[in-house]
Amino acid sequence: MKLPEMKTGLAISALFHAALLLWGLISFAAKPLEAKPNDALPVDIISDKQFSEMTKGVKNAPKDAKPAPLVEKIDPSKPVDDSTAKVTPKKEIDAARNEPQPPPPAPESKPKAADAKPEKKPEPPRVDPIAETLKKEEAKKKAEERAAKAKAEKEQKQAQAYDPTRIAALLDKRDPQRHAAAGDHLSQNPGLGKSQGNAAVLSQSEIDALRRRLAECWNPPVGASNAPNLKVVMRVLFKQDGSVAGQPLLVAGTASPFGPAMAESAKRAILTCQPFKMLRPETYELWKDIEITFDPKDMFGG
Amino acid sequence: MTSDNLHDRSPVDRLPVTCRPLLMTRRAMLAGAAAGAAALWAPRQVRAQTRIDVTQGTVKPMPIALPDFIGGTPNDGEVARNVTQVITANLKRSGLFAPIDQAAYIERITNIDTLPRFPEWRTIAAQALVTGRITRQSDGRLKTEFRLWDVASAEQLTGQQYFTAADNWRRIAHIISDAVYQRLTGEMGYFDSRVVFVDESGPKNQRVKRLAIMDQDGANVRYLTRGDDLVLTPRFSPKTQEITYMSYGGREPRVFLLNIETLQREVVGNFPNMSFAPRFSPDGQRVIMSLQQGSNSNLYVLDLRSKAMTRLTETPAIDTAPSYSPDSARICFESDRGGTQQIYVMGAAGGAAQRISFGEGRYSTPVWSPRGDYIAFTKQGGGSFGIGIMKPDGSGERILTEGFHNEGPTFAPNGRVVMFFRDPGGSAGPSLYTVDISGRNEQKIPTPGFASDPAWSPLLS
Repeated sequence: MKLPEMKTGLAISALFHAALLLWGLISFAAKPLEAKPNDALPVDIISDKQFSEMTKGVKNAPKDAKPAPLVEKIDPSKPVDDSTAKVTPKKEIDAARNEPQPPPPAPESKPKAADAKPEKKPEPPRVDPIAETLKKEEAKKKAEERAAKAKAEKEQKQAQAYDPTRIAALLDKRDPQRHAAAGDHLSQNPGLGKSQGNAAVLSQSEIDALRRRLAECWNPPVGASNAPNLKVVMRVLFKQDGSVAGQPLLVAGTASPFGPAMAESAKRAILTCQPFKMLRPETYELWKDIEITFDPKDMFGG
Repeated sequence: MTSDNLHDRSPVDRLPVTCRPLLMTRRAMLAGAAAGAAALWAPRQVRAQTRIDVTQGTVKPMPIALPDFIGGTPNDGEVARNVTQVITANLKRSGLFAPIDQAAYIERITNIDTLPRFPEWRTIAAQALVTGRITRQSDGRLKTEFRLWDVASAEQLTGQQYFTAADNWRRIAHIISDAVYQRLTGEMGYFDSRVVFVDESGPKNQRVKRLAIMDQDGANVRYLTRGDDLVLTPRFSPKTQEITYMSYGGREPRVFLLNIETLQREVVGNFPNMSFAPRFSPDGQRVIMSLQQGSNSNLYVLDLRSKAMTRLTETPAIDTAPSYSPDSARICFESDRGGTQQIYVMGAAGGAAQRISFGEGRYSTPVWSPRGDYIAFTKQGGGSFGIGIMKPDGSGERILTEGFHNEGPTFAPNGRVVMFFRDPGGSAGPSLYTVDISGRNEQKIPTPGFASDPAWSPLLS
């Protein structure tokens, strides 16, 4: 063993190790580990049935027809929204003309039986050269207005002595300003798409439709509610048109006094419900031989 | 390999000829393995068995078709029609069947020994079909045959034949109803049974109370006592045709044993104290009752043969209305040892009692179901009386009916239906009602007058 060389080597090694450790101590301690804040990812837990419902559609399905606006009344002659109609040129009011302006239409100061508010037609704009006339007219109008208001208030007070038998008289007798949306064919949807679309009800796979149909037809025996874990498995062979081939076979069943009644109710459900039209002939291979388990656990609260 | 040298041959060739076919050469084995692998990789129609689960259904009465039974001879038409009507009424009243109106039937059954035309029964949505025939025999007896058909699978489910005396036709109808009920629901029927009750008549302040017995549908009412004495709480023996009841004849109330067939009365015991609510044990050999001493009452068991009395409770409280479990191992009773009337369960030989009722109100008149799965009771609270059921451990409490004033539940022999009496108060009197243990299908049982305190017999057959 050559000690001096070892000593040198040892010294160098120790130095380097110390340097490394020191560096590590300094560099690693300074930075706390921070996790980048992630957006929360919403997670939904769904059952197999829901998954197949959601993924049923076809990517290259043809688009629906053009969106139809709301149409409540058939009147092809009156378009609802004629945005391309030409703006009719308004009559030009020539301020410089000296023609006597027609007197402004007097506000309907004569209140109708229950008309609490006097109706005013919109006045054409005033022009200066006949300001005098104008002012006089305005004064007159104001006086009439006040009179009308006073009368209207009196009328209101009278109307407030509420008479339920005269409700019809209280109703506004004006013609309805709002016209029903008219078009050439009725459409109840005020927006896009058809009123019956596949968007509201997701299409189901055939197996789910079959389950639903069987659930409609199946009447389990009432005593099954008392028997825990009661279920029967039936094997059914189907024909191409959705009807049952032969009789359903009992494959397995829980041993219970209600077993035979349960098996019979299941058999009855299958036979009464046929033909199962929701099963498409194209996928016959998938559904020609099915084992159905009837388990009333969801019905009676487990 | 035709070399003469033995060692040049393959090991297989060296063997004697008889052994050779059993072994394979290495080549053959390799060839076989290759073939097997090829077979494995070959495209095969592998398809898992399609399985679906149906976990939901609808509970609704089963539509059933009951065409009139055929009369074997022209004179039997009327009794055949009557039998059909009784069966139809029974099944409809149970709430589990929906008999289809006869006017809707397409096929007219004229012979029960031929197959019905099932497509026609399917059209009216019948799921089951009952056909039958009644023939009066030369000795005066009635021969009744019936068949129960499953319309969907076009098969006969059951068929029976009965012989009976001509005036027993109602019992045959009830027996057939039970057979149909049992085959289609899986549960034992309850139609061939009777109800004993206290018939009340007269003005409210001077009620005449007589013991009466009738079929469970209200027919065949028979009076068992004359009405001189006040009678209460009749109870059926589970094994014999006997009833116990309490009668206030004379100075003290006594417990009587009455034989229905012979109408012979026997005093069970002449106790110096008041007795309440005697009940039979399931084997019919003992009677359990409560006897009052001073201000409290305790439970006693009386052996009917040896007349030996055994005391069961010794509390300074009022213990009354005991009822045996169907296996005779336990009894349930009503006690106020905890402060208010509650229901307790105790071993049949006495011992520690366990309280099982914990709701708001006072619980009384407990009775154990013949199936052993429920105890029915009367619950009083908040101004109303309810009839309810709970499991023998006290869980699953459910009120079947509520109002003023319901009391005195008794179970049908199959434990599915509870009968009780309701007194609406005022000038009217009490009447009998039945309700299914699911709380549905409350029905009134017709009685000639007012009726109270019903007790349901076991099945007669």
